[in-house]
Amino acid sequence: MNMSGLSFNALPPIDLPFRFFLSAPIFIIACAILVLFSGETLWLSRWQPNMLALTHCFTLGFLTMVMMGALLQLLPVIGGIGIAKPRLIATSSHALYCAGVMALMLSFVLAINWLTLAALALLSFGVSIYLGAIIWVLIKKISQGDSINCFRLAITSLVILLLLGILLLANRLGITVPFIKLDKHVTDIHALMGLVGWAGLLIIAVSFQVLPMFHVAPNMPKYIRQYLGVSIFILLVVYVFYAEIALGLIFISHGVFAFSLFYVIKQRKRKVPDTSIKYWQLAAGTLLLLNLLYFLPDSFYSAEQTPIFISLPDKGMLLTSIFIYFYLLSVIQGMLLKILPFLSYTHLQQRCFIDFSAMQFIPHMHEFLNKKHGLALYYMHILSGLSLLAVLFEPSLYVVFAIFLLVEFVWLFVLMVRCMRLYFTVNQKINLFNNP
Amino acid sequence: MSSIPEYMTSKHRECDEFFSEAEAAVADKNWSLALAKWQLFASELTEHLAQEEDTLFPQFEKATGMTAGPTQVMRMEHQQMRALVQSLDNALAAKDKDEYLGLSETLMVMMQQHNMKEEMMLYPMMAQHLSDGDQLIEGFKANAEV
Repeated sequence: MNMSGLSFNALPPIDLPFRFFLSAPIFIIACAILVLFSGETLWLSRWQPNMLALTHCFTLGFLTMVMMGALLQLLPVIGGIGIAKPRLIATSSHALYCAGVMALMLSFVLAINWLTLAALALLSFGVSIYLGAIIWVLIKKISQGDSINCFRLAITSLVILLLLGILLLANRLGITVPFIKLDKHVTDIHALMGLVGWAGLLIIAVSFQVLPMFHVAPNMPKYIRQYLGVSIFILLVVYVFYAEIALGLIFISHGVFAFSLFYVIKQRKRKVPDTSIKYWQLAAGTLLLLNLLYFLPDSFYSAEQTPIFISLPDKGMLLTSIFIYFYLLSVIQGMLLKILPFLSYTHLQQRCFIDFSAMQFIPHMHEFLNKKHGLALYYMHILSGLSLLAVLFEPSLYVVFAIFLLVEFVWLFVLMVRCMRLYFTVNQKINLFNNP
Repeated sequence: MSSIPEYMTSKHRECDEFFSEAEAAVADKNWSLALAKWQLFASELTEHLAQEEDTLFPQFEKATGMTAGPTQVMRMEHQQMRALVQSLDNALAAKDKDEYLGLSETLMVMMQQHNMKEEMMLYPMMAQHLSDGDQLIEGFKANAEV
Protein backbone atom coordinates (compact mmCIF):
# COMPACT_ATOMS: atom_id res chain seq x y z
CA MET A 1 0.00 0.00 0.00
CA ASN A 2 1.31 3.37 -0.98
CA MET A 3 1.27 5.66 2.03
CA SER A 4 3.19 8.58 0.63
CA GLY A 5 0.97 11.54 -0.06
CA LEU A 6 -1.67 10.21 2.28
CA SER A 7 -3.08 12.99 4.35
CA PHE A 8 -5.99 12.73 6.69
CA ASN A 9 -6.99 16.34 6.61
CA ALA A 10 -6.31 17.54 3.10
CA LEU A 11 -9.42 19.69 2.86
CA PRO A 12 -9.21 22.37 0.20
CA PRO A 13 -9.83 25.91 1.53
CA ILE A 14 -13.57 26.41 2.07
CA ASP A 15 -13.97 29.28 -0.39
CA LEU A 16 -13.06 26.92 -3.25
CA PRO A 17 -16.04 24.54 -3.05
CA PHE A 18 -18.23 27.40 -1.89
CA ARG A 19 -17.61 29.50 -4.98
CA PHE A 20 -18.92 26.63 -7.11
CA PHE A 21 -21.95 26.26 -4.83
CA LEU A 22 -22.72 29.96 -4.70
CA SER A 23 -22.58 30.40 -8.47
CA ALA A 24 -24.93 27.46 -9.13
CA PRO A 25 -28.27 29.04 -8.02
CA ILE A 26 -27.36 32.23 -9.86
CA PHE A 27 -27.43 30.29 -13.12
CA ILE A 28 -30.91 28.98 -12.34
CA ILE A 29 -32.03 32.51 -11.52
CA ALA A 30 -30.78 33.37 -15.02
CA CYS A 31 -32.86 30.42 -16.30
CA ALA A 32 -35.96 31.84 -14.63
CA ILE A 33 -35.41 35.16 -16.35
CA LEU A 34 -34.86 33.38 -19.66
CA VAL A 35 -38.14 31.47 -19.21
CA LEU A 36 -39.93 34.69 -18.35
CA PHE A 37 -38.74 36.50 -21.47
CA SER A 38 -38.90 33.60 -23.95
CA GLY A 39 -42.66 33.21 -23.78
CA GLU A 40 -44.72 30.23 -24.88
CA THR A 41 -42.71 29.34 -27.99
CA LEU A 42 -39.82 28.16 -25.80
CA TRP A 43 -41.78 25.00 -25.00
CA LEU A 44 -42.47 23.92 -28.56
CA SER A 45 -39.39 21.73 -28.98
CA ARG A 46 -36.08 20.81 -27.45
CA TRP A 47 -34.34 22.33 -30.47
CA GLN A 48 -35.57 25.86 -29.78
CA PRO A 49 -32.36 27.89 -29.30
CA ASN A 50 -33.63 29.26 -25.99
CA MET A 51 -34.53 25.73 -24.87
CA LEU A 52 -30.96 24.63 -25.62
CA ALA A 53 -29.76 27.57 -23.55
CA LEU A 54 -32.14 26.57 -20.76
CA THR A 55 -31.16 22.89 -20.63
CA HIS A 56 -27.46 23.71 -20.70
CA CYS A 57 -27.86 26.32 -18.02
CA PHE A 58 -29.58 23.75 -15.79
CA THR A 59 -27.16 20.93 -16.45
CA LEU A 60 -23.89 22.86 -16.70
CA GLY A 61 -24.66 25.97 -14.70
CA PHE A 62 -26.28 24.19 -11.80
CA LEU A 63 -25.84 20.40 -11.76
CA THR A 64 -22.27 20.15 -13.00
CA MET A 65 -21.28 23.28 -11.08
CA VAL A 66 -22.40 21.79 -7.75
CA MET A 67 -20.90 18.42 -8.58
CA MET A 68 -17.54 20.01 -9.40
CA GLY A 69 -17.57 21.84 -6.06
CA ALA A 70 -18.62 18.76 -4.12
CA LEU A 71 -15.92 16.59 -5.69
CA LEU A 72 -13.20 18.96 -4.50
CA GLN A 73 -14.39 18.15 -1.02
CA LEU A 74 -15.22 14.49 -1.50
CA LEU A 75 -11.94 13.36 -3.02
CA PRO A 76 -9.76 13.91 0.04
CA VAL A 77 -12.27 11.98 2.15
CA ILE A 78 -12.82 8.98 -0.13
CA GLY A 79 -9.53 9.00 -2.01
CA GLY A 80 -7.21 9.99 0.82
CA ILE A 81 -5.63 12.79 -1.16
CA GLY A 82 -6.88 16.05 -2.57
CA ILE A 83 -6.03 17.68 -5.88
CA ALA A 84 -2.64 19.32 -6.22
CA LYS A 85 -2.57 23.14 -6.15
CA PRO A 86 -6.28 23.33 -5.25
CA ARG A 87 -6.46 27.12 -5.26
CA LEU A 88 -4.95 27.50 -8.70
CA ILE A 89 -6.99 24.65 -10.21
CA ALA A 90 -10.31 25.60 -8.62
CA THR A 91 -9.99 29.32 -9.25
CA SER A 92 -8.97 29.02 -12.88
CA SER A 93 -11.37 26.21 -13.80
CA HIS A 94 -14.27 27.92 -12.01
CA ALA A 95 -13.69 31.27 -13.71
CA LEU A 96 -13.26 29.74 -17.17
CA TYR A 97 -16.21 27.43 -16.65
CA CYS A 98 -18.60 30.18 -15.50
CA ALA A 99 -17.60 32.37 -18.43
CA GLY A 100 -17.97 29.35 -20.73
CA VAL A 101 -21.51 28.52 -19.57
CA MET A 102 -22.54 32.15 -19.98
CA ALA A 103 -21.01 32.31 -23.46
CA LEU A 104 -22.74 29.05 -24.39
CA MET A 105 -26.15 30.30 -23.25
CA LEU A 106 -25.72 33.57 -25.08
CA SER A 107 -24.45 31.81 -28.19
CA PHE A 108 -27.63 29.71 -28.29
CA VAL A 109 -29.90 32.70 -27.69
CA LEU A 110 -28.14 35.19 -29.95
CA ALA A 111 -26.59 32.77 -32.49
CA ILE A 112 -23.38 34.76 -32.81
CA ASN A 113 -20.35 32.88 -34.09
CA TRP A 114 -17.69 34.46 -31.93
CA LEU A 115 -19.74 33.60 -28.82
CA THR A 116 -19.89 29.97 -29.90
CA LEU A 117 -16.16 30.02 -30.41
CA ALA A 118 -15.69 31.61 -26.98
CA ALA A 119 -17.94 29.01 -25.35
CA LEU A 120 -16.02 26.26 -27.09
CA ALA A 121 -12.65 27.56 -25.91
CA LEU A 122 -13.67 28.53 -22.38
CA LEU A 123 -15.63 25.36 -21.59
CA SER A 124 -13.14 22.91 -23.03
CA PHE A 125 -10.23 24.69 -21.34
CA GLY A 126 -12.01 25.12 -17.99
CA VAL A 127 -13.31 21.56 -17.78
CA SER A 128 -9.98 20.14 -18.96
CA ILE A 129 -8.06 21.84 -16.16
CA TYR A 130 -10.51 20.46 -13.64
CA LEU A 131 -10.59 17.01 -15.19
CA GLY A 132 -6.81 16.86 -15.40
CA ALA A 133 -6.54 17.48 -11.68
CA ILE A 134 -9.23 14.93 -10.79
CA ILE A 135 -7.79 12.26 -13.06
CA TRP A 136 -4.38 12.83 -11.48
CA VAL A 137 -5.94 12.02 -8.08
CA LEU A 138 -7.78 9.00 -9.43
CA ILE A 139 -4.54 7.58 -10.77
CA LYS A 140 -2.76 8.14 -7.46
CA LYS A 141 -5.78 7.17 -5.38
CA ILE A 142 -5.20 5.04 -2.38
CA SER A 143 -8.48 3.54 -1.32
CA GLN A 144 -10.55 1.06 -3.29
CA GLY A 145 -14.24 0.47 -3.56
CA ASP A 146 -17.34 0.23 -5.66
CA SER A 147 -17.92 3.96 -5.31
CA ILE A 148 -14.54 4.76 -6.79
CA ASN A 149 -15.23 2.49 -9.76
CA CYS A 150 -18.62 4.07 -10.43
CA PHE A 151 -17.00 7.41 -10.00
CA ARG A 152 -14.40 6.63 -12.68
CA LEU A 153 -17.18 5.73 -15.11
CA ALA A 154 -18.90 9.04 -14.35
CA ILE A 155 -15.69 10.91 -15.13
CA THR A 156 -15.24 8.87 -18.33
CA SER A 157 -18.78 9.86 -19.35
CA LEU A 158 -17.94 13.49 -18.68
CA VAL A 159 -14.93 13.22 -20.99
CA ILE A 160 -17.06 11.66 -23.76
CA LEU A 161 -19.86 14.18 -23.36
CA LEU A 162 -17.37 17.03 -23.43
CA LEU A 163 -15.76 15.73 -26.63
CA LEU A 164 -19.15 15.30 -28.30
CA GLY A 165 -20.16 18.76 -27.11
CA ILE A 166 -17.01 20.23 -28.64
CA LEU A 167 -17.77 18.47 -31.95
CA LEU A 168 -21.36 19.69 -31.95
CA LEU A 169 -20.36 23.27 -31.18
CA ALA A 170 -17.61 23.17 -33.79
CA ASN A 171 -20.22 21.95 -36.24
CA ARG A 172 -22.26 25.09 -35.58
CA LEU A 173 -19.20 27.05 -36.61
CA GLY A 174 -19.02 25.10 -39.84
CA ILE A 175 -16.11 22.91 -38.78
CA THR A 176 -16.90 19.30 -39.62
CA VAL A 177 -15.07 16.11 -38.86
CA PRO A 178 -14.81 13.21 -41.28
CA PHE A 179 -16.27 9.80 -40.25
CA ILE A 180 -18.80 11.27 -37.83
CA LYS A 181 -22.17 12.43 -39.03
CA LEU A 182 -23.42 14.95 -36.50
CA ASP A 183 -27.10 14.24 -36.48
CA LYS A 184 -29.86 14.00 -33.89
CA HIS A 185 -28.51 10.63 -32.74
CA VAL A 186 -25.16 12.15 -31.79
CA THR A 187 -26.98 14.87 -29.87
CA ASP A 188 -28.96 12.19 -28.06
CA ILE A 189 -25.76 10.36 -27.14
CA HIS A 190 -24.29 13.64 -25.90
CA ALA A 191 -27.39 14.30 -23.77
CA LEU A 192 -27.55 10.76 -22.36
CA MET A 193 -23.83 10.75 -21.53
CA GLY A 194 -24.44 13.91 -19.56
CA LEU A 195 -27.68 13.06 -17.79
CA VAL A 196 -27.28 9.32 -17.25
CA GLY A 197 -23.50 8.88 -17.48
CA TRP A 198 -21.96 11.86 -15.77
CA ALA A 199 -24.74 13.06 -13.43
CA GLY A 200 -26.54 9.72 -12.99
CA LEU A 201 -23.50 7.54 -12.30
CA LEU A 202 -22.06 10.10 -9.92
CA ILE A 203 -25.32 10.08 -7.96
CA ILE A 204 -25.27 6.29 -7.85
CA ALA A 205 -21.66 6.34 -6.61
CA VAL A 206 -22.52 8.92 -3.97
CA SER A 207 -25.58 6.98 -2.81
CA PHE A 208 -23.42 3.93 -2.04
CA GLN A 209 -21.44 6.04 0.43
CA VAL A 210 -23.84 8.58 1.76
CA LEU A 211 -26.88 6.52 2.72
CA PRO A 212 -25.05 4.01 4.92
CA MET A 213 -22.89 6.78 6.36
CA PHE A 214 -25.31 9.51 7.32
CA HIS A 215 -28.43 7.48 7.93
CA VAL A 216 -26.96 4.31 9.44
CA ALA A 217 -28.47 2.25 6.66
CA PRO A 218 -27.27 -1.12 5.36
CA ASN A 219 -25.06 -1.18 2.29
CA MET A 220 -26.75 -1.46 -1.09
CA PRO A 221 -26.97 -5.12 -2.16
CA LYS A 222 -23.57 -6.33 -3.32
CA TYR A 223 -24.56 -7.05 -6.92
CA ILE A 224 -26.03 -3.55 -7.22
CA ARG A 225 -22.81 -1.99 -5.96
CA GLN A 226 -20.68 -4.12 -8.26
CA TYR A 227 -22.71 -4.21 -11.45
CA LEU A 228 -25.23 -1.38 -11.62
CA GLY A 229 -22.81 1.39 -12.55
CA VAL A 230 -20.88 -0.65 -15.09
CA SER A 231 -24.11 -2.03 -16.63
CA ILE A 232 -25.50 1.45 -17.13
CA PHE A 233 -22.24 2.58 -18.67
CA ILE A 234 -22.20 -0.41 -21.05
CA LEU A 235 -25.82 0.34 -21.98
CA LEU A 236 -24.80 3.90 -22.83
CA VAL A 237 -22.22 2.49 -25.22
CA VAL A 238 -24.75 0.01 -26.65
CA TYR A 239 -27.11 2.96 -27.16
CA VAL A 240 -24.82 4.20 -29.92
CA PHE A 241 -25.72 1.15 -32.00
CA TYR A 242 -29.06 -0.12 -30.68
CA ALA A 243 -30.76 2.95 -29.28
CA GLU A 244 -34.23 1.55 -28.62
CA ILE A 245 -33.21 -1.57 -26.69
CA ALA A 246 -30.49 0.20 -24.72
CA LEU A 247 -32.78 3.04 -23.68
CA GLY A 248 -35.42 0.63 -22.38
CA LEU A 249 -32.78 -1.21 -20.36
CA ILE A 250 -31.39 2.08 -19.03
CA PHE A 251 -34.83 2.93 -17.68
CA ILE A 252 -35.18 -0.54 -16.15
CA SER A 253 -31.71 -0.26 -14.52
CA HIS A 254 -32.82 2.98 -12.91
CA GLY A 255 -35.98 1.25 -11.75
CA VAL A 256 -33.79 -1.36 -10.06
CA PHE A 257 -31.76 1.44 -8.49
CA ALA A 258 -34.99 3.03 -7.24
CA PHE A 259 -36.04 -0.20 -5.51
CA SER A 260 -32.59 -0.51 -3.91
CA LEU A 261 -32.88 3.07 -2.69
CA PHE A 262 -36.28 2.42 -1.15
CA TYR A 263 -34.99 -0.78 0.44
CA VAL A 264 -31.91 0.84 1.96
CA ILE A 265 -33.87 3.88 3.16
CA LYS A 266 -36.51 1.69 4.76
CA GLN A 267 -33.85 -0.38 6.54
CA ARG A 268 -32.00 2.63 7.91
CA LYS A 269 -31.52 2.74 11.65
CA ARG A 270 -31.39 6.51 11.92
CA LYS A 271 -35.02 7.51 11.65
CA VAL A 272 -34.88 11.08 12.87
CA PRO A 273 -36.81 13.31 10.38
CA ASP A 274 -34.45 14.41 7.65
CA THR A 275 -35.08 16.46 4.51
CA SER A 276 -32.23 14.79 2.61
CA ILE A 277 -34.02 11.47 3.02
CA LYS A 278 -37.20 13.06 1.65
CA TYR A 279 -35.22 14.17 -1.39
CA TRP A 280 -33.86 10.65 -1.91
CA GLN A 281 -37.36 9.21 -1.65
CA LEU A 282 -38.66 11.76 -4.13
CA ALA A 283 -35.81 10.84 -6.46
CA ALA A 284 -36.49 7.10 -6.19
CA GLY A 285 -40.23 7.59 -6.73
CA THR A 286 -39.42 9.68 -9.80
CA LEU A 287 -37.37 6.87 -11.32
CA LEU A 288 -40.29 4.48 -10.94
CA LEU A 289 -42.71 6.99 -12.45
CA LEU A 290 -40.31 7.45 -15.38
CA ASN A 291 -40.39 3.71 -16.02
CA LEU A 292 -44.16 3.80 -16.12
CA LEU A 293 -44.21 6.77 -18.49
CA TYR A 294 -41.52 5.30 -20.73
CA PHE A 295 -43.22 1.96 -21.18
CA LEU A 296 -46.69 3.36 -21.77
CA PRO A 297 -47.66 2.62 -25.39
CA ASP A 298 -46.86 5.41 -27.82
CA SER A 299 -50.52 5.78 -28.69
CA PHE A 300 -50.93 7.23 -25.20
CA TYR A 301 -48.85 10.21 -26.28
CA SER A 302 -50.68 10.87 -29.53
CA ALA A 303 -53.17 13.64 -29.18
CA GLU A 304 -56.15 11.96 -30.90
CA GLN A 305 -56.18 8.93 -28.69
CA THR A 306 -55.19 10.52 -25.44
CA PRO A 307 -57.43 9.24 -22.70
CA ILE A 308 -57.32 12.38 -20.61
CA PHE A 309 -58.68 14.85 -23.18
CA ILE A 310 -55.70 17.19 -23.08
CA SER A 311 -52.85 17.29 -25.50
CA LEU A 312 -49.83 15.51 -24.07
CA PRO A 313 -46.36 16.96 -24.41
CA ASP A 314 -43.60 15.44 -26.44
CA LYS A 315 -42.59 12.21 -24.71
CA GLY A 316 -38.86 12.87 -24.85
CA MET A 317 -39.23 16.34 -23.42
CA LEU A 318 -41.58 15.14 -20.67
CA LEU A 319 -39.27 12.31 -19.57
CA THR A 320 -36.12 14.43 -19.75
CA SER A 321 -37.71 17.27 -17.76
CA ILE A 322 -38.87 14.88 -15.05
CA PHE A 323 -35.48 13.18 -14.94
CA ILE A 324 -33.61 16.45 -14.57
CA TYR A 325 -35.98 18.24 -12.26
CA PHE A 326 -37.34 15.54 -9.98
CA TYR A 327 -34.41 13.14 -10.01
CA LEU A 328 -31.07 14.90 -10.58
CA LEU A 329 -31.97 18.24 -9.03
CA SER A 330 -33.66 16.58 -6.05
CA VAL A 331 -30.65 14.49 -5.13
CA ILE A 332 -28.28 17.42 -5.61
CA GLN A 333 -30.39 19.68 -3.39
CA GLY A 334 -30.69 16.97 -0.76
CA MET A 335 -26.91 16.63 -0.78
CA LEU A 336 -26.39 20.40 -0.56
CA LEU A 337 -28.47 20.47 2.61
CA LYS A 338 -25.91 18.11 4.15
CA ILE A 339 -22.77 19.45 2.53
CA LEU A 340 -23.20 23.17 3.30
CA PRO A 341 -23.39 22.92 7.10
CA PHE A 342 -20.97 20.02 7.17
CA LEU A 343 -18.28 21.89 5.23
CA SER A 344 -18.65 24.97 7.39
CA TYR A 345 -18.45 22.92 10.54
CA THR A 346 -15.51 20.78 9.45
CA HIS A 347 -13.39 23.73 8.43
CA LEU A 348 -13.97 25.53 11.70
CA GLN A 349 -13.37 22.34 13.62
CA GLN A 350 -9.99 21.88 11.96
CA ARG A 351 -9.02 25.36 13.04
CA CYS A 352 -9.49 24.21 16.62
CA PHE A 353 -6.80 21.55 16.32
CA ILE A 354 -4.43 24.31 17.34
CA ASP A 355 -6.42 25.61 20.24
CA PHE A 356 -8.95 23.14 21.42
CA SER A 357 -10.87 25.56 23.68
CA ALA A 358 -11.98 27.56 20.62
CA MET A 359 -14.42 24.69 19.96
CA GLN A 360 -16.89 26.52 22.20
CA PHE A 361 -17.54 29.06 19.42
CA ILE A 362 -18.55 26.57 16.74
CA PRO A 363 -22.30 26.34 16.10
CA HIS A 364 -23.86 22.95 15.44
CA MET A 365 -25.05 21.80 12.00
CA HIS A 366 -28.63 23.02 12.37
CA GLU A 367 -27.42 26.48 13.23
CA PHE A 368 -25.58 26.64 9.92
CA LEU A 369 -28.65 25.47 8.07
CA ASN A 370 -31.94 25.54 9.92
CA LYS A 371 -33.91 22.31 9.45
CA LYS A 372 -37.16 24.16 8.76
CA HIS A 373 -35.47 26.23 6.08
CA GLY A 374 -34.25 23.05 4.40
CA LEU A 375 -37.74 21.60 4.52
CA ALA A 376 -39.13 24.79 3.00
CA LEU A 377 -36.71 24.36 0.09
CA TYR A 378 -38.01 20.83 -0.43
CA TYR A 379 -41.62 21.99 -0.70
CA MET A 380 -40.61 24.84 -3.01
CA HIS A 381 -38.85 22.29 -5.18
CA ILE A 382 -41.96 20.14 -5.48
CA LEU A 383 -44.08 23.17 -6.29
CA SER A 384 -41.74 24.48 -8.97
CA GLY A 385 -41.39 20.94 -10.39
CA LEU A 386 -45.17 20.60 -10.66
CA SER A 387 -45.34 23.99 -12.34
CA LEU A 388 -42.72 22.79 -14.84
CA LEU A 389 -44.97 19.83 -15.68
CA ALA A 390 -47.91 22.18 -16.01
CA VAL A 391 -45.98 24.28 -18.53
CA LEU A 392 -45.19 21.20 -20.61
CA PHE A 393 -48.93 20.55 -20.90
CA GLU A 394 -49.95 24.19 -21.14
CA PRO A 395 -47.10 26.48 -22.28
CA SER A 396 -49.04 29.64 -21.46
CA LEU A 397 -48.38 28.92 -17.78
CA TYR A 398 -44.69 29.73 -18.22
CA VAL A 399 -44.89 32.79 -15.96
CA VAL A 400 -45.94 30.60 -13.01
CA PHE A 401 -42.98 28.29 -13.56
CA ALA A 402 -40.55 31.19 -13.91
CA ILE A 403 -41.73 32.70 -10.64
CA PHE A 404 -41.60 29.44 -8.69
CA LEU A 405 -38.14 28.76 -10.10
CA LEU A 406 -36.99 32.22 -9.10
CA VAL A 407 -38.36 31.92 -5.57
CA GLU A 408 -36.85 28.46 -5.01
CA PHE A 409 -33.36 29.31 -6.15
CA VAL A 410 -33.22 32.73 -4.55
CA TRP A 411 -34.12 30.88 -1.35
CA LEU A 412 -31.34 28.33 -1.92
CA PHE A 413 -28.93 31.19 -2.54
CA VAL A 414 -30.05 32.89 0.69
CA LEU A 415 -29.49 29.65 2.63
CA MET A 416 -25.98 29.40 1.20
CA VAL A 417 -25.14 33.00 2.01
CA ARG A 418 -26.45 32.68 5.59
CA CYS A 419 -24.36 29.57 6.09
CA MET A 420 -21.25 31.27 4.72
CA ARG A 421 -21.82 34.40 6.78
CA LEU A 422 -22.08 32.41 9.97
CA TYR A 423 -18.89 30.62 8.97
CA PHE A 424 -17.00 33.88 8.57
CA THR A 425 -18.38 35.35 11.78
CA VAL A 426 -17.27 32.34 13.79
CA ASN A 427 -13.97 32.19 11.97
CA GLN A 428 -13.35 35.78 13.00
CA LYS A 429 -14.17 34.92 16.61
CA ILE A 430 -11.65 32.10 16.56
CA ASN A 431 -9.05 34.46 15.09
CA LEU A 432 -9.61 36.96 17.87
CA PHE A 433 -9.53 34.21 20.45
CA ASN A 434 -6.22 32.87 19.13
CA ASN A 435 -4.61 36.31 18.72
CA PRO A 436 -6.26 38.58 21.26
CA MET B 1 -4.30 -10.14 7.35
CA SER B 2 -5.38 -9.67 10.93
CA SER B 3 -8.90 -9.08 12.19
CA ILE B 4 -8.25 -5.44 13.11
CA PRO B 5 -10.34 -3.91 10.27
CA GLU B 6 -13.17 -6.37 10.79
CA TYR B 7 -13.43 -6.02 14.56
CA MET B 8 -12.89 -2.27 14.81
CA THR B 9 -15.35 -1.63 11.97
CA SER B 10 -18.00 -3.74 13.66
CA LYS B 11 -17.53 -1.57 16.75
CA HIS B 12 -18.20 1.53 14.67
CA ARG B 13 -21.49 0.00 13.51
CA GLU B 14 -22.43 -0.91 17.09
CA CYS B 15 -21.85 2.68 18.20
CA ASP B 16 -23.93 3.94 15.27
CA GLU B 17 -26.86 1.79 16.34
CA PHE B 18 -26.92 2.94 19.97
CA PHE B 19 -26.46 6.48 18.74
CA SER B 20 -29.43 6.25 16.35
CA GLU B 21 -31.64 4.71 19.01
CA ALA B 22 -30.82 7.49 21.45
CA GLU B 23 -31.47 10.11 18.79
CA ALA B 24 -34.81 8.58 17.81
CA ALA B 25 -35.84 8.53 21.47
CA VAL B 26 -34.96 12.23 21.83
CA ALA B 27 -36.96 13.03 18.69
CA ASP B 28 -39.93 11.28 20.40
CA LYS B 29 -39.12 13.09 23.66
CA ASN B 30 -38.79 9.73 25.38
CA TRP B 31 -36.10 11.02 27.74
CA SER B 32 -35.59 7.94 29.90
CA LEU B 33 -35.07 5.67 26.89
CA ALA B 34 -32.85 8.31 25.32
CA LEU B 35 -30.66 8.45 28.42
CA ALA B 36 -30.32 4.68 28.58
CA LYS B 37 -29.33 4.38 24.91
CA TRP B 38 -27.07 7.40 25.12
CA GLN B 39 -25.17 5.91 28.05
CA LEU B 40 -24.70 2.67 26.11
CA PHE B 41 -23.32 4.68 23.21
CA ALA B 42 -21.05 6.78 25.39
CA SER B 43 -19.51 3.78 27.13
CA GLU B 44 -18.98 1.91 23.83
CA LEU B 45 -17.36 5.00 22.37
CA THR B 46 -15.09 5.54 25.38
CA GLU B 47 -13.91 1.94 25.22
CA HIS B 48 -13.34 2.06 21.47
CA LEU B 49 -11.33 5.27 21.62
CA ALA B 50 -9.25 3.89 24.47
CA GLN B 51 -8.47 0.73 22.48
CA GLU B 52 -7.20 2.88 19.65
CA GLU B 53 -5.32 5.48 21.67
CA ASP B 54 -3.80 3.19 24.29
CA THR B 55 -3.04 0.13 22.17
CA LEU B 56 -3.47 0.26 18.40
CA PHE B 57 -2.10 3.74 17.67
CA PRO B 58 1.07 3.35 19.76
CA GLN B 59 1.74 -0.06 18.21
CA PHE B 60 1.21 1.34 14.74
CA GLU B 61 3.45 4.31 15.45
CA LYS B 62 6.14 1.97 16.74
CA ALA B 63 5.88 -0.33 13.72
CA THR B 64 5.91 2.42 11.08
CA GLY B 65 7.73 5.27 12.79
CA MET B 66 4.86 7.56 11.72
CA THR B 67 4.11 9.49 14.89
CA ALA B 68 3.05 12.78 13.31
CA GLY B 69 0.90 11.21 10.61
CA PRO B 70 -2.61 9.78 10.48
CA THR B 71 -2.74 8.71 14.13
CA GLN B 72 -2.11 12.26 15.29
CA VAL B 73 -5.02 13.56 13.23
CA MET B 74 -7.20 10.74 14.56
CA ARG B 75 -6.29 11.60 18.16
CA MET B 76 -7.22 15.23 17.61
CA GLU B 77 -10.55 14.23 16.10
CA HIS B 78 -11.17 11.98 19.10
CA GLN B 79 -10.67 14.99 21.35
CA GLN B 80 -13.24 16.93 19.40
CA MET B 81 -15.72 14.08 19.50
CA ARG B 82 -15.34 13.96 23.27
CA ALA B 83 -16.14 17.67 23.41
CA LEU B 84 -19.31 17.11 21.38
CA VAL B 85 -20.28 14.18 23.57
CA GLN B 86 -19.96 16.52 26.55
CA SER B 87 -22.26 19.07 24.89
CA LEU B 88 -24.74 16.31 24.09
CA ASP B 89 -24.66 15.19 27.75
CA ASN B 90 -25.65 18.72 28.71
CA ALA B 91 -28.43 18.97 26.11
CA LEU B 92 -29.81 15.64 27.28
CA ALA B 93 -29.72 16.71 30.93
CA ALA B 94 -31.53 19.93 29.99
CA LYS B 95 -34.03 17.95 27.85
CA ASP B 96 -33.38 20.41 25.04
CA LYS B 97 -34.57 18.52 21.97
CA ASP B 98 -33.57 20.99 19.24
CA GLU B 99 -30.13 21.54 20.71
CA TYR B 100 -29.63 17.79 21.06
CA LEU B 101 -30.67 17.06 17.48
CA GLY B 102 -28.45 19.81 16.10
CA LEU B 103 -25.49 18.48 18.07
CA SER B 104 -26.25 14.85 17.25
CA GLU B 105 -26.35 15.62 13.53
CA THR B 106 -22.96 17.28 13.95
CA LEU B 107 -21.42 14.42 15.88
CA MET B 108 -22.88 11.91 13.43
CA VAL B 109 -21.35 13.57 10.40
CA MET B 110 -18.06 14.05 12.17
CA MET B 111 -17.90 10.45 13.36
CA GLN B 112 -18.81 9.10 9.94
CA GLN B 113 -16.07 10.86 8.09
CA HIS B 114 -13.66 9.98 10.86
CA ASN B 115 -14.73 6.31 10.62
CA MET B 116 -14.34 6.37 6.89
CA LYS B 117 -10.72 7.47 7.14
CA GLU B 118 -10.05 4.72 9.68
CA GLU B 119 -11.92 1.99 7.84
CA MET B 120 -10.68 2.75 4.37
CA MET B 121 -7.11 3.65 5.20
CA LEU B 122 -5.85 3.38 8.75
CA TYR B 123 -7.19 -0.07 9.71
CA PRO B 124 -5.99 -1.74 6.50
CA MET B 125 -2.60 -0.11 7.07
CA MET B 126 -2.59 -1.44 10.63
CA ALA B 127 -3.49 -4.92 9.45
CA GLN B 128 -0.52 -4.77 7.15
CA HIS B 129 2.01 -3.42 9.63
CA LEU B 130 1.04 -5.04 12.94
CA SER B 131 2.10 -8.66 13.02
CA ASP B 132 0.34 -9.32 16.32
CA GLY B 133 -2.96 -7.74 15.24
CA ASP B 134 -5.01 -10.86 15.93
CA GLN B 135 -3.67 -11.15 19.48
CA LEU B 136 -4.45 -7.50 20.16
CA ILE B 137 -8.05 -8.01 19.04
CA GLU B 138 -8.35 -11.20 21.10
CA GLY B 139 -7.19 -9.13 24.06
CA PHE B 140 -9.91 -6.56 23.40
CA LYS B 141 -12.55 -9.27 23.19
CA ALA B 142 -11.36 -10.90 26.42
CA ASN B 143 -11.48 -7.56 28.22
CA ALA B 144 -14.98 -6.91 26.93
CA GLU B 145 -16.18 -10.21 28.38
CA VAL B 146 -14.84 -9.50 31.87
